[in-house]
Amino acid sequence: MSSTTYIVPFIKAVASVFKDMLGIVVTRGEPVDEGEGFESQGFAVIVGFTGGWRGRFFLDMPPATAIKVAGILTGEEYDSATHEEVLLCGAEIGNVVCGNAITAVNDAYPGLGIRLTPPSVFVGEGFSMFNVRLSSYSVMMQTDAGPLKINVAVEEGKR
Amino acid sequence: MAVDDSPVTRKMLKKALEPEGFVIVAEAGNGRDAVAAYSQANPDVITMDVTMPIMDGLEAAAAIKKLNPSQKIIMLSAMGDKDIVAEAQSLGISDFCTKPFKPDEIIGKILKVLAEG
Repeated sequence: MSSTTYIVPFIKAVASVFKDMLGIVVTRGEPVDEGEGFESQGFAVIVGFTGGWRGRFFLDMPPATAIKVAGILTGEEYDSATHEEVLLCGAEIGNVVCGNAITAVNDAYPGLGIRLTPPSVFVGEGFSMFNVRLSSYSVMMQTDAGPLKINVAVEEGKR
Repeated sequence: MAVDDSPVTRKMLKKALEPEGFVIVAEAGNGRDAVAAYSQANPDVITMDVTMPIMDGLEAAAAIKKLNPSQKIIMLSAMGDKDIVAEAQSLGISDFCTKPFKPDEIIGKILKVLAEG
């Protein structure tokens, strides 16, 4: 399987989840090899997975996008990306995107048995993440709520 | 009874169900708390997430089914692959709903499992 293929189910899941859950249309760019590093725009949801594929999925966006997305999901207004409900909304959206993507992978490749770990959210300016010994791929996306970036770091594990 | 580690999902369930006359008699954020709260809550239907910390939804569903084999449980999860659905079916789960859910979809599934008696 080519390395960039790993990110394709996540791209599809972002588009369908944002449309179904939030009514937001997502337009996307091409996958970019980011090596081991990954620079955040300020609000990053991280969901780990293990099984036939091991790695991490990052849903990254500027804090302003996170605030807008949370407002759409709950129907409430927020003034900070560190508001508890903004963090929880980000976590749930990341979890649903990753869950839908991994479901598609598990159904396409029976026997992988990939399972998720609960999401974590990081908020801050100018932080970078490193996927030690894992190459990662990113795709920038545009939405009416602002820009998004997804980053996927995968290695094939034991079946 | 709503079992999900995401308070946002529990809030969305409340928003969807309460205007339709349903009452959420108990909430839990993980499987262990769900099993602990189950007997006192005595729900007609449980919506149960799969991926949760401490105890996952399939394990919790199995424990609740041991206490009450006729308990109606709808799995509500971002993960809905064939293996998970098959495992849920083997536990006697009433139905499966994949996130993101639409209010009408979850209401329809709850009414369906209630009608099955």
